[in-house]
Amino acid sequence: MRRRIEEADVVVVGGGITAAMVAEKLTDERDVSVIVVEAGTESAPLEKRFERRQRYLDYGENPWTDDHIEDQVALGIMSRSMVVGGQALHWGGTTPRFTPEDFRHRSAFGVHVDWPLDYETLDPYYQEAEERMGVSGEQGPDPLDPRGAPYPMPAVPLTWTLERLQEWVTSAGIPTWTNPVAKNTRPWKGRNVCLRCDTCNICPTGAKYTPDFTFQQLLATGRIRMHPRTLVRRLELEEGTDRIHAAVARSYDDPDVDVVYRAKTFVLAAGYAWSPHLLLVSAQGRYARGLANSSGLVGRYMAGHRSVSAFMELPMRLLPGMYFGHSLISKYFQRPTVAGGPGLPRGFMRHDFRVWESTTARGPRLRGEDGTLLLGDDVMADWRARTVTGTTRLRSYYDIIPDENSRVELDTSRRNRFGDPLPTLRFQDAPVSRDLRQATEDRIRGVFEGLARVGNGRILRTSVDDVQDHPGGGCRMSDDASEGVVNSWGRAHDHENLFVVGAPTMVSGGCSNGTLTFSALSLRSAEEVGRDFPARSRDGVASDA
Amino acid sequence: MTQDRRTFLKATTAALSVAAVGACAPEPSERTDPAAGVRRLDPSLLRNVGAHVLPSELGEGGREQAVQGFERWAAAYEPVPEMNHGYGTSEIRYGPPDPVPGWAAQLQALDLEATKRTGVGFAALDPEAADALLRRHIGDAGSAMPSPLQADHVAVALLSWWLSTPEATDRCYGVRISPETCRGIDIAPREPEALS
Repeated sequence: MRRRIEEADVVVVGGGITAAMVAEKLTDERDVSVIVVEAGTESAPLEKRFERRQRYLDYGENPWTDDHIEDQVALGIMSRSMVVGGQALHWGGTTPRFTPEDFRHRSAFGVHVDWPLDYETLDPYYQEAEERMGVSGEQGPDPLDPRGAPYPMPAVPLTWTLERLQEWVTSAGIPTWTNPVAKNTRPWKGRNVCLRCDTCNICPTGAKYTPDFTFQQLLATGRIRMHPRTLVRRLELEEGTDRIHAAVARSYDDPDVDVVYRAKTFVLAAGYAWSPHLLLVSAQGRYARGLANSSGLVGRYMAGHRSVSAFMELPMRLLPGMYFGHSLISKYFQRPTVAGGPGLPRGFMRHDFRVWESTTARGPRLRGEDGTLLLGDDVMADWRARTVTGTTRLRSYYDIIPDENSRVELDTSRRNRFGDPLPTLRFQDAPVSRDLRQATEDRIRGVFEGLARVGNGRILRTSVDDVQDHPGGGCRMSDDASEGVVNSWGRAHDHENLFVVGAPTMVSGGCSNGTLTFSALSLRSAEEVGRDFPARSRDGVASDA
Repeated sequence: MTQDRRTFLKATTAALSVAAVGACAPEPSERTDPAAGVRRLDPSLLRNVGAHVLPSELGEGGREQAVQGFERWAAAYEPVPEMNHGYGTSEIRYGPPDPVPGWAAQLQALDLEATKRTGVGFAALDPEAADALLRRHIGDAGSAMPSPLQADHVAVALLSWWLSTPEATDRCYGVRISPETCRGIDIAPREPEALS
């Protein structure tokens, strides 16, 4: 096999949102050469996105064509996206912070473990992530929504319909505010203002943050090199030491050549499935269970949260369709023990709360109540009669304490074109969460039923999503090398020049969307990575480290 | 390469769909280019169907616009597209084959049955007879409005396509909600304007 050598100070494996955060911060602050290696291809440029959006609207087509690799499949993963920009091309841009309690499960509730850092430590990195992405938000009421500084941009205004829904929820005693999002309400870093096109999985204006914007800016200014369509297949140890010596990859365009990346520091930014997978497939020498795995915890404690949803009809005029993607949020039930909160009814039980406009049970239909086929004027008459009142969608994510056996494992019966075994993910609740599951879901349904009573509404249906959403874990952080794969900075306990960043390092999945949290964690990791390199002066010339 | 593959898929799918609709399809001898022939929805028959399934409040001009929009939408479909990823699954799904050949055959079937039963084509039937025939052909469709691509009958596809437009929502509510239309965020809190 021929070999091609590529060298940089830092090699980042993965091209998603955490890689973008790390690469941007590193090259902002340090005189450092960076190569980003991404298995997927480059994403559609902004100028193509109106056209792609239209075909998505017209036919349901994937607006990000070629965003996956046919034979690189992780069973149990939430999305097959493997592309420059990662899953944050599709994301809705929702960016709530975790609450202080998310980091203190043991000390606050007597369950699981505390994270090796607290909310106050992460607050400036949350702020930095919000600044880098461009987050618009509304300060929630004290003390439910603590933050050290204002949001970078004012909130996306509520629609007329969301304002009506907020009045109803407020009358039930639940404080809500505008869901924070990585969408611009004023021009931000050369990107446009949101036009509520309502196809946020492909934002045609560029108002929603996607990591490809960061990469394009870094590439345009020569601050990084990007190697797309290149799969890192294993990390190699330096002979006789625990340092990572190389990342060995194969380009899909030149598959007969091993691409060998050499660097002072390696940053694994490949997400919750592929980061632990790479460590496991890199087993070698005295790390026979996988690199960074002397604790045996690589691929364990996979974390997420489960949702309970409801659709409810309300005897009020609502006008859905003004911005389906926008919503209300509350941390009232996430912070049950703060002043004025609902308290802990039975041990450890927390959830978030979101409200959307909806057309459920209010769309046009083909047959009336009596089974008559509705065509022409009859369709419109039936539709109008049913939209005199409206419906809403409610959803709560609730905490799940991850079990040690919630895992990413290698499946040797499935292999990619290069012969590498592929991962399978299996999520499992820890006993404390398993025992509380029914009570937690009943409690959330009770909240929904209370809201229905207050609004003289009726619950049309409730459902429980059985997958664990917004996953993380697999390389959890701990200051104790026997309890985690990396320390709180993301540095592997076993390999001083290896960092795992972002979602895999999370200790638990919280009960709200995790992207902002693992982006903040990545920025904190980037700070530590950068300490090994000289500071970047204003004119781009290196100064003292 | 992509274009070649798409062309191949269209032709192949069209041929398969003709086989599937069997006796409803026009005689092959009537066409010189089978693939092109079955891609075409008879404009006159489609407009006749539109007069029965689209709301009268659109008027002739509005119905014509709706039918033209549907024709453009159907013509631009590329069979078996990669569908939008569902979040929460590792499955990659692909869309249906080209529905147009089947729909074209259904339009012909309406006309053929009208002719065989009454001696005149679908367009010449009195409105009640045309409506009854159309309802028989739509058959046992379910109560939910299918997406146009999933519609079993061209009449339902046309209706469903129009109902998915922002105009239909605005007409239903009597105000300019205009879903999925890019516009400023600053006016979002205002009650949408009434249709004039």
